[in-house]
Amino acid sequence: MTADGPLTGPPSVPPGAAAPETNTTPDDEWLRVHPASPFVRGWVALAAITFFFGRDLFERSLQGQPVFEDGFARRAPWLLGGGAVVLAVAVLGFVLTWYFTKYQVSGGYVRVNSGLLSRQHRQARLDRVQAIDIVQPLLARIFGLAELKFEVADAGESAVRLAYLKIDDARQLRATILARASGALPAAGAGQSDASPAERSARPAPEAPEFPVLAVPPSRLVGSLLLSEQSFFIVVGGIASVVLSAVTDNRAFYFYLVPAALGLAAGYWNFFNKGYNFTAAISPDGIRLRYGLLDTQAQTLPPGRIQAVKIAQPPLWRPFGWYRMQVNVAGYGTSGNAAEGNTRTILLPVGKFPDVLAMLSMVLPDPGTNQPEAVFAAGLGGWDSDGGFVTTPRRARLLAPFAWRRNGFAATATALLIRSGRWWRELVVVPHQRTQSMALQQGPLARRFRVADLVLHTTAGPVAPRLTQAGLDEARQLFDEQSARARLARKRQTSEQWLRQVVPADESRQLSDAPGVDPVATPHSLKQHQQEGHQHG
Amino acid sequence: MRTEAIDPPGIAWQRVSPKYITVRLVEWALANLAAVLVLSAPLVFVLLGWWRWPPLWLAITVPAVMLLVALWRLVLIPRQVRAIGFAERDDDLLVRNGIFFQRIMAVPYGRMQYVDIAVGPVERALGLCTVKLHTASPGTNARIPGLPAAEGARLREQLAARGEARLAGL
Repeated sequence: MTADGPLTGPPSVPPGAAAPETNTTPDDEWLRVHPASPFVRGWVALAAITFFFGRDLFERSLQGQPVFEDGFARRAPWLLGGGAVVLAVAVLGFVLTWYFTKYQVSGGYVRVNSGLLSRQHRQARLDRVQAIDIVQPLLARIFGLAELKFEVADAGESAVRLAYLKIDDARQLRATILARASGALPAAGAGQSDASPAERSARPAPEAPEFPVLAVPPSRLVGSLLLSEQSFFIVVGGIASVVLSAVTDNRAFYFYLVPAALGLAAGYWNFFNKGYNFTAAISPDGIRLRYGLLDTQAQTLPPGRIQAVKIAQPPLWRPFGWYRMQVNVAGYGTSGNAAEGNTRTILLPVGKFPDVLAMLSMVLPDPGTNQPEAVFAAGLGGWDSDGGFVTTPRRARLLAPFAWRRNGFAATATALLIRSGRWWRELVVVPHQRTQSMALQQGPLARRFRVADLVLHTTAGPVAPRLTQAGLDEARQLFDEQSARARLARKRQTSEQWLRQVVPADESRQLSDAPGVDPVATPHSLKQHQQEGHQHG
Repeated sequence: MRTEAIDPPGIAWQRVSPKYITVRLVEWALANLAAVLVLSAPLVFVLLGWWRWPPLWLAITVPAVMLLVALWRLVLIPRQVRAIGFAERDDDLLVRNGIFFQRIMAVPYGRMQYVDIAVGPVERALGLCTVKLHTASPGTNARIPGLPAAEGARLREQLAARGEARLAGL
């Protein structure tokens, strides 16, 4: 982290971003999460205990039996006592965990101490923040609480969670962390040891203004679910079972449909619940994604944190021109819960071509080509050499009889585009500066046709960039060029603090004209931002 | 059989120690001979008349095929070891391996998160080691086996120094 003198003056807060000044605690103070959080977290356990001990009484009263029968009257004190003890232990456990969980934001680090018997200290470097999520499960939402979760690209376990904070505090903390991480607000500590404590304290970062870019209407979401690959297999399976029943005169096949239908309904519900009301917005802090029907989630992806993007179109979506976008972000792929990881890696659940372009313009502010629209359109639906793509040579068409005219790559000044698939169309975009390593591979069959595969390695996630069956000479050339391009791009990108790369610290307060902001932003979008500010509360 | 390499032209590969063949042979013996022995057990039982199933031809075929595959692998080992190579370029490390399934990997120094040296029992007896490179991607599976211990230590220091000089964020 670059040493940096004390701020020359108080930060000028942009007018649209009047954040609620609730959290004015000094930096170095250890804070606790909201006292209600153990109960919001442990409500399942509490409910289970209540259910276990209350069920008997309830059933009896329903059946009209005397609540206290002879045997029960004798056991009642024991039961009640046992229940009370279990409840007390559980509550005490929750309260103690709450008491011993403390967090602190200072000196360029977020530190979280937790644990009662085995203490756990975790600290995360702010400039290594990859993404920040504010998650509100239904119960937390009712109480106006939220969980703050951020992914840090340091070795080992990456996610740091703070559950739960008041929603305003969570947003405030997110703004502070992002401001520090971006370099807009110099991190107290290392470079600021000479600043007086008073100067360091009481300076909450304003939330960066944001501009809505797109929203997914619920009707389109439902349509996309109905036309998903999953639905296709359901229909096939349903028809097969009906036919089988008719042919074999065996009614049993219908019964298999019942659990299947239940499972599928749950799956659809999950998708709908997660994808409902999906909106994307751009702010100097990065891309903001919000979604959720009952449980809401707000993700912030700072600029340059997206390692790879995949744009896919299943065959049934083609008549409607819908696409799905998924991303690799360090930390997202490795989160313990697979389902959670899946939803978080979705950049756009379903959208049309202009939406895709809008998202791409946020992910890749500089597409590195003069006609990005044409290139991306060729990547999504083009054939052969449209848009400057180099495809599988004709001699290898037997290896990919359908897709050889699609399989190909194009390199712009800032990213490598890999397209594939004739029915399941896919376009993978990897920014040059995000390439980790790469490998050229060739099996015996591919050697026979003088083709080779190029694999780009990126962080764990749903996108696995692989250029299949490129001509050997082209692949070799790309391998060399790509190394050179990645090297140049790495040199150009010097700082992890994205605002510091482009503007000096003083000017970085003028957040609203930071690069990457979409020109569609209109004056009323600020108003919208403020409205949105109350939406979660 | 002559196979055309997919190497970029003009690279002088550093090869690993021929002693690594011994390591591979020991590994081969442990894995394949054990498999052949286990698969031969039914044959013995059938010959002894303890088992009625499987039929004799099957009891012979399965271990025989396994033995052939194992011998084939044995024949390949020296060539596979000779096919392993690495080259330190200005900004990245190239690692190649394989004859039939060739792979050439480029790992930029600036992307290396850490470098491991692993030494197994056989390797230690022969004074060899294995250097592993790790980036932020789980796909980077770059290991250089069969380096003399001194060369491995030198390579690790070299990589660490170069990595530090060119370290980039994620």
